[in-house]
Amino acid sequence: MKRSIIDRKEFLKQNQEERDSFVQRWAEFVRNNNDKIWSRQQNKIIDSTLKTSNITKEEYLKMKKKRP
Amino acid sequence: MRFYEKTIEIDKELSELDRFTIEFVNTIKKHTEYVIVSGYVSIILGRSRGSEDIDIIIPKMNEEKTKEMIEELLKKRFYCLNTEKDHFEYLNDKVALRFAKEGTVIPNMEMKFAKNKIETIALKNKIRVKIKGKEIYISQLELQIAFKEQILKSPKDIEDAKHIRLVAKGYIDDDLIKEYEGLLHETFNYR
Repeated sequence: MKRSIIDRKEFLKQNQEERDSFVQRWAEFVRNNNDKIWSRQQNKIIDSTLKTSNITKEEYLKMKKKRP
Repeated sequence: MRFYEKTIEIDKELSELDRFTIEFVNTIKKHTEYVIVSGYVSIILGRSRGSEDIDIIIPKMNEEKTKEMIEELLKKRFYCLNTEKDHFEYLNDKVALRFAKEGTVIPNMEMKFAKNKIETIALKNKIRVKIKGKEIYISQLELQIAFKEQILKSPKDIEDAKHIRLVAKGYIDDDLIKEYEGLLHETFNYR
């Protein structure tokens, strides 16, 4: 089977371009819609981030220390 | 979302993170001034990402005042994750204290005394967010943008800055961002 090599730099560049494009589209959605509409969607992300964690205090503090 | 003078009015539905923040700042506001900085500033303005901690800066205060504030937080069933005692010493030694509600670890509030010129300016020039009849004081948007773009610079921070620039277009003062960029260059070592 022929292996295809992906250029890492190009991959990251493309990934960042997609992220930037999403930030742009989402910010326009926030600007052009009622606060209640965008916040309902935003809250799903925020609340799910908080609910999925069952980390202990010790684990959390250790993790924060390791982070730059 | 409405922007005027030093106020932003947001008629959003509250997330768990918003409720936690409002309860925390309502508890400490009798004891101290404060300003919320960093990620939560972009989140309250609608950025589509979560965060497990919120950064808050308070002016340096004495041991007695600090004790009164901590006692009030404990009464409201907040607890400090990183120490049960010597709270003032931690803050005074430039170590941030993290507070969460009892029985939880996240979300938590990372609190520290203002320790440099930039943090003092953040406190002085804070702006008010009116949300569901409550108030939260956050850092001036221009300072947040400059700090995220010039100092923090991670992809997440650059995206946060971009979001703030876009949602607050027309309210943001570009000259003020440049002014803050200059101040940051004077304050931080750019090696």
